[in-house]
Amino acid sequence: MRKVFMTALVLVLAVACCAHADEVKIGACIYRFNDAFMLRFRNAMSAESEKLGAVITIADGQDNQTTQDEQVDAFIADGVNVLIVNTVDRMASQSIIDKAKAANIPVVFINREPTPEMLATYDKAYYVGAKAEESGTETGELVASYFKAHPEADKNKDGKLQFILLKGQNGHQDMILRSKYSVEAVKNAGIEPVELASAIANWDKLEAMKIMNGFIMSIGPENIEAVIANNDEMALGAIEALKAQDYNTGNPEAYIPVVGVDANASALEAMDKGEMLGTVLNDADNQGISAVRLAAALAEGKDTGTIGYEITDGKYIWIPYQKVTRGEKQ
Amino acid sequence: MANTSRSKRLMTVGGLIFLVLGIALYFLKAPLGLNRKIYDLPVFLIIIGICSAFKGFTAKEKTEEEAALAGKTFTEFLTNNAILLAMLVLVVVICILQPRFMQIRVALDILTQSSPKLIMALGICFALLIAGTDLSAGRMVGLAAVISASMMQTATYANRFFPDLPQLSLWIPIAAAILACMLFGALNGFIVAKYEMHPFIATLATQVIIYGVCSLYFDMPPNNSQPIGGIRPDFAQIGQLRLFNGLWKGFPGISILIPIAIVICIIIWFVLNKTVFGKNVYAIGGNREAAVVAGINVFSNIMFIFILASLLYGIAGVLEAARTAGATNNYGLGYETDAIAACVVGGVSMSGGIGKVGGIVMGVLIFTVIQYGLQFINVSPMWQQVIKGVIIAVAVAIDMTKYRKK
Repeated sequence: MRKVFMTALVLVLAVACCAHADEVKIGACIYRFNDAFMLRFRNAMSAESEKLGAVITIADGQDNQTTQDEQVDAFIADGVNVLIVNTVDRMASQSIIDKAKAANIPVVFINREPTPEMLATYDKAYYVGAKAEESGTETGELVASYFKAHPEADKNKDGKLQFILLKGQNGHQDMILRSKYSVEAVKNAGIEPVELASAIANWDKLEAMKIMNGFIMSIGPENIEAVIANNDEMALGAIEALKAQDYNTGNPEAYIPVVGVDANASALEAMDKGEMLGTVLNDADNQGISAVRLAAALAEGKDTGTIGYEITDGKYIWIPYQKVTRGEKQ
Repeated sequence: MANTSRSKRLMTVGGLIFLVLGIALYFLKAPLGLNRKIYDLPVFLIIIGICSAFKGFTAKEKTEEEAALAGKTFTEFLTNNAILLAMLVLVVVICILQPRFMQIRVALDILTQSSPKLIMALGICFALLIAGTDLSAGRMVGLAAVISASMMQTATYANRFFPDLPQLSLWIPIAAAILACMLFGALNGFIVAKYEMHPFIATLATQVIIYGVCSLYFDMPPNNSQPIGGIRPDFAQIGQLRLFNGLWKGFPGISILIPIAIVICIIIWFVLNKTVFGKNVYAIGGNREAAVVAGINVFSNIMFIFILASLLYGIAGVLEAARTAGATNNYGLGYETDAIAACVVGGVSMSGGIGKVGGIVMGVLIFTVIQYGLQFINVSPMWQQVIKGVIIAVAVAIDMTKYRKK
């Protein structure tokens, strides 16, 4: 009986293997599953793979680069045709490129950009993402245009913008560029920005709430003219802290404009309630779709010019950001 | 004798001086233009003055023996209260550097932030009292936060955890969250009691299991590990409600968390000091073999310890979800270490059997004030970590020397 069972099992396995032999197998690594933005990315990738008839397996790196390295090794051992990698630590991209190169499979990095030097070491290494500086510029522009349209927003009437900056994880390229370019955009709009305080809140709502609470107490809400956050979760944390001091609850006398990046569901809801000024949509859908299309084309050795997204410098697909206020795309 | 009455007189007189100074400043600060320089300092002076004078009046007359002991050990008093004194110095320094610290709203904010920490510390103190520890505490907070938040979303929110869930009564998700924690608390207790496993290992195992289970729940479609948002306002009120808000102009109100923590504090004090179970906890912690010989049912007591503790973690988790109007499976990360540290600074011995509720309250307050204060004057978070570590080491070192002498 057992023999029959084993034979049947072997047969089933063999058939299963054969059936999938000519399909594109994509191994995708996400830095952490419980990240709202990466979730949209994942959903878009799964849907697009299904549409293309490719098999995609997605692994959760649990915010640990060592775990992710092991997952990459496992995918390569499993014989995937192409890798899609969202690194935990973008500086670890080189070792992943080396692994892909040794196995001679293409690798498409998403969301966390390897340095150009790293990408240059392998002709089949690509990057799909958005230009982080663009998201920074757009959040800065949102604040600047609000400041110009509402003279009362200049609380101390000095013509300058006193703001608080909530930053993402230390060293993340989005954190560096969004911080820099949001302030620059305010400056370019002809308003002098004055940073009252800034802190790293690791993209996290709870952490941002605690930090913002401290700033409200030590600086005083009456002295804060804007809060610029590197993502929506931190912006929402800041809003919870403000609400606890009766700010941003609908009273126009007690309002501080808060902006974020991502346009996730909670942020849209906060904007509908008038608690949040605006956000910038990092277009996860188009990034996910283009990453899968590029990966599939590479795996099958097809012309990458047919995927419907423009490839810049032979290595990059850039998906533009979109400004969102009051729940509607501008 | 002379010594005691002198210290009594000192307290009374000092208190009255503070009181008078406070009242004088209260009326003079506006005419002197000090409003933006000393903020609510007069009110604090009045409160300190009243407390000190009251204590001076009501202090019991000590016997000569005790008085002699008190006099001899002035330096001992300094070492024993080193952390408290360091905190007071820090508070004065912060007030000078950043006068905004002297606001009633800041004091209330510190109490608000202390409240969930106190609930955690009161839970974990039971494990410490039996010479154990509880590493699963923080993850239980995360579990309770995720479970309660997942069932408490508004009907119109775009990404609901349970899209077809009707508007539940508040109590169902809260009970579900706390019961889930108690289930794991029972698991903790069972492994520790049945296999006499060290709580460090038992709770380490449970901690990993809880995080896994919580992540699985959190990753269920359609949520797929998104941070839970769109929390119902009535649920958020459980953590955000402010009592007496706007009683007078500019009064921020007293956070509901403060009375919740006080009630729990009183209950735990009662349990530890006035019940058989409380006495058993100290007995098991002091000498387990002796407790067994004395006929104490160690198994059921240990089970009850971990279940009671997990009940408190569950409450803390629900409050955390309500306070932040959201939850992820990362909530509560590292809370157990903060709670253990606060207990230790508050005089709870890691070798079991020693620890008081009053000490734990002090430990939590000292920790929160120091952390809050350092952030207030913008000390880098990295330095905050260093300072926190030093405080723990110093506090335990002082404690150890105290017991060695005895």
